[in-house]
Amino acid sequence: MHAGIIFLLVIIGSVLFHIFTPWYWTDIASNWKGMDDTITLTFWVGGGVFVAVCLFMIYCVFKYQHKEDRRAEYKPEDKKLEKILTWATTLGVCALLAPGLIIWNQYVNVPKNAIEVDVMAWQWGWQYRLPGADGKLGTTQVRNIADNNPFGINPDDPFGKDDIMVESDVINLENNRPVKILLRSVDVLHNWYVPQFRAKMDAVPGTVTFYWFEPNKVGEYEVLCAEYCGVGHYAMRGGVEVQDKADYEVWLSEQETFEQLSARYEKLNVDGNKLAKK
Amino acid sequence: MSDEYDNNKSYQAQSSEVMDGSAGSINPDIDYVRPAEVGEQDLYHGHSFIEKWIFCQDAKVIGVQYFLTAVFTGIVGLILSWLMRLQLGFPGLAGFMTAEHYYQFVTMHGMIMVVYFLTALFLGGFGNYLIPLMVGARDMVFPYVNMLSFWMFFVAVAVLMASFFVPGGPTGAGWTLYPPQTILEGTPGSGMGILLMLISLSLFVIGFTMGGLNYMITILQARTRGMTLMRMPLTVWGIFTATVLAMLAFPALLVSAIMMTLDKVLQTSFFMPTILKAGEVLEYGGGSPILFQHLFWFFGHPEVYIVALPAFGIVSDLISVHARKNIFGYRMMVWAIVGIGGLSFFVWAHHMYVSGMNPWFGFFFATTTLIIAVPTAMKVYNWILTLWRGNIRINTVMLWCLGFIVTFVNGGITGIFLGNVSVDVPLSDTYFVIAHFHMVMGIAPLMVIMGAVYHWFPLVAGKMLHEGLGKWHFWITFLGAYSIYFPMHYLGFIGVPRRYFEMYDSPYMTSAVGMNEFISIAAFIVGAAQFILVFNIIKTLKTGKKAEKNPWKANSLEWYTSTVPPEHGNFGERLPVVHRWPYDFSVPGAKDDFIPQTTAPSEVIHTEVEKT
Amino acid sequence: MSEQKIDGFELKPGFKGMASDTGSDQTMFKGVHWGKAMMWIFLLSDTFVFSCFLISYMKGRGSTLVDWPNTSEVFSLHVGSVPVPLLLIAIMTFVLITSSGTMALAVKYGYEKNRKMCGWLILATAVGGLTFVGMQVFEWSKLIHEGVRPWGNPFGASQFGSFFFMITGFHGFHVSIGVIFLFIYTYKVFAGHYESKKRGWFTKMKGDYVEIEILGLYWHFVDLVWVFIFAFFYLW
Repeated sequence: MHAGIIFLLVIIGSVLFHIFTPWYWTDIASNWKGMDDTITLTFWVGGGVFVAVCLFMIYCVFKYQHKEDRRAEYKPEDKKLEKILTWATTLGVCALLAPGLIIWNQYVNVPKNAIEVDVMAWQWGWQYRLPGADGKLGTTQVRNIADNNPFGINPDDPFGKDDIMVESDVINLENNRPVKILLRSVDVLHNWYVPQFRAKMDAVPGTVTFYWFEPNKVGEYEVLCAEYCGVGHYAMRGGVEVQDKADYEVWLSEQETFEQLSARYEKLNVDGNKLAKK
Repeated sequence: MSDEYDNNKSYQAQSSEVMDGSAGSINPDIDYVRPAEVGEQDLYHGHSFIEKWIFCQDAKVIGVQYFLTAVFTGIVGLILSWLMRLQLGFPGLAGFMTAEHYYQFVTMHGMIMVVYFLTALFLGGFGNYLIPLMVGARDMVFPYVNMLSFWMFFVAVAVLMASFFVPGGPTGAGWTLYPPQTILEGTPGSGMGILLMLISLSLFVIGFTMGGLNYMITILQARTRGMTLMRMPLTVWGIFTATVLAMLAFPALLVSAIMMTLDKVLQTSFFMPTILKAGEVLEYGGGSPILFQHLFWFFGHPEVYIVALPAFGIVSDLISVHARKNIFGYRMMVWAIVGIGGLSFFVWAHHMYVSGMNPWFGFFFATTTLIIAVPTAMKVYNWILTLWRGNIRINTVMLWCLGFIVTFVNGGITGIFLGNVSVDVPLSDTYFVIAHFHMVMGIAPLMVIMGAVYHWFPLVAGKMLHEGLGKWHFWITFLGAYSIYFPMHYLGFIGVPRRYFEMYDSPYMTSAVGMNEFISIAAFIVGAAQFILVFNIIKTLKTGKKAEKNPWKANSLEWYTSTVPPEHGNFGERLPVVHRWPYDFSVPGAKDDFIPQTTAPSEVIHTEVEKT
Repeated sequence: MSEQKIDGFELKPGFKGMASDTGSDQTMFKGVHWGKAMMWIFLLSDTFVFSCFLISYMKGRGSTLVDWPNTSEVFSLHVGSVPVPLLLIAIMTFVLITSSGTMALAVKYGYEKNRKMCGWLILATAVGGLTFVGMQVFEWSKLIHEGVRPWGNPFGASQFGSFFFMITGFHGFHVSIGVIFLFIYTYKVFAGHYESKKRGWFTKMKGDYVEIEILGLYWHFVDLVWVFIFAFFYLW
């Protein structure tokens, strides 16, 4: 008897925990509210099934406890009941799958007006690159990476010249403008993840992966690495600052382009050579 | 097929009789069972201590050997989990704990628990012990290969454990061993540690293949007379399907292990793209890290079901016996097991939704993944419908089964979150995933293992385990484990990523410090509670009550051996002849509330038993 | 297929009959020796191993940064000074396929209890296998001499050497295991182990001629895999 009661308390406790939990998702700051909604829907449907199944089990434990003088029912199968349950489950599963697939379809189709951000990851840090006035990022290669070319941009690619380099682990984004995050890594797997934006994707060395979101809340957010990348994984943090258009433009104008950076290094080199000659 | 070799030439006396030996049957026709197709199995009985207990060919001894070795590794895994929880709940308390150590413990805990503990325990332990007994065979069909299988496993475990003592320590690459970081510096144990891990895995696969061939052929070709496929206990069905999965999934692991070994030792670039490390471009280039993930999860997802299906099967039998009722919808249960097994080969990339693979795969794998929920849900319904209108003994075994249902349904539902591709995006690589898979393939199968231990201990040792201790063991484990993993889902919602040695002052974590401490304390208690079982077993072996034959009044063949515990050859002079399925409980009109599988129809002619 | 009878068991016609036969008691594959069933299932598992290798190879070859070497040049053999593509491979394949033929004959004579013929044919198979391995050693050393290494080669993508040595090596390993067993079985046939019903010193099990057929299954499989490797590496 007490077994059934304890099980009942566990189920009630679970439901109460879910209702009164102080731990729940962080306030969303991007367009992926659909993900949250699908989670909520799955919670209702799935949680309902969980509670129903467990309550039925507890009912059976109470009602059909062993008695020497009683016999269980003998009924190997009930085709009709099994059919009903199968179809009901299938229906429920479809109801959950449909919104999931619809949102995934949005997730993999990036809007045309999204600004591209090249996120470059290494053990253990981040840096970012934005397209310049031409709106296009230059192509890159790991082998090109050097002090005067921190992103490995192909020097003969005309699109690369005006790329804006953000050699910091904090990137600024414009509020209410879709961002296409292009991820690449120079060593191992990483994952650029901001819990408030909900979205994530692995950065895989040797290839460029992507995802997109639209930040819709001005503020500062912490970037976490969400794919295990070695000893420093837990400390691999970065930041995002979502700003209004005006603030963002100011920030953008302060950043250095690839051309400027190359020029600075060339000057450094020339100065260095002059010094050496003297 | 006309050149089939005739292996039926040497019939023993028993097969020439048309009838089973029950003399004086009322109606010989309804008791007819076809004569034996295959002659008696040639068994080699060991003569010395070594042949009887160490290099033994008896599947039951091998099963116990597997069980004990797996439990040993399981205890190592448990201790590692304590150390991890110590760090997560109380950072800095254990002074020796560096990030390197933490990641090594995470990796070894995962690999040990999934492969060397659960897989070996279910298939090697329960499989070896129960298959021949349940299908009515004298032994596994290739006893010698079976023995080699265990010793190969033993060596694999030894190699794995050796990696704790090599320079650099064991690998800390995470149990998924994702390249490139697995074999690069910056990951602990990227030298000897990972090599030993890969060697150990390869040995495990080879050893397992030997065992798996035994389990499959014993079930397919060595059943006793009258034991049709649809009269096999669900335990056998579960282990059988899991073995098929293992035979087809482990090759992918073997291949990926070989390729990674070459990447490590010979500097090939199967999985290694161009890599810039410490300002220098390494000697690698052109490989594909995602290829490894595909290979790994082609093994890894069936692996989940390799653990789950035997648990499904065993728990079905336990519930049926202790609810004194036939398993509800037996045929549905069988087809669900087979269906889940088949589907499990088409869902692997749901572990890779955010891995950077072609995003269009997401649609396909989300759909197949959610389809698999349907047969799984049917199994759950059938378990609770078996309880319905039953005559349920609330003993320790049944408690474990009920605990299994609660944890499995909970973990299954969270699986629907993670399988549904876009819901997975915010939750993947967070603590939600940890909570999900521990609930569904850690705690739930563990509940079944414990239930099975309490259920079959009287058969293996001939003594009954202490009920009171068993109940304490159950309640502490169940309530403790539930309170570890249920709140943990909410850590995932907050967005706490997994495999974090320390969270520092991230705003996501500050609110969850208390929860982490609570989880850690619960983990210490649950881990310690497992030693109640160890104590119970030792106490029972010393002073326990002697078990009567068939103490649970079950129907399946393992309880109808000539001696308890069964000796080599299992069934004495004659193999049993089977006339019915193992679930004839509470048949109206029968004298007892159970009819053993060996009971001929003519002996229970006045009952309303259905033909199976 | 003609009606088959296995001691009072008649196979039933049609799909339904097949289903009920499959699900019947005792055995699923009627009249199939345990060892043979085991070998079939092992080979199925092994098929997955080779499939994983070959699929990885296709993926690897499809995604390299550098061009794949021109295989008809790399694998050609110089006769005099004329490069003949695929010459060595053609001979290797021929030898291996021939050894499959001798193996099949050995199985036949084994069942006929023709100890001598059976023994000589197994020996011939073993020699064929050994020749194959020898030629593979020759090919490997030729390639290594030309600078092909698992981690790189002068002709193109470094993965060429990696996959080539790994997959042909893994296949060659299979052949070598087969050759060792063929020699052991040759000895056992001539010594009469399959007729005397004495327990073996190693496995403590009694011998039987069916073991030759089981080894034959393995040998044919190794052959078949070679055909695929041949097609994937040398013809692609």
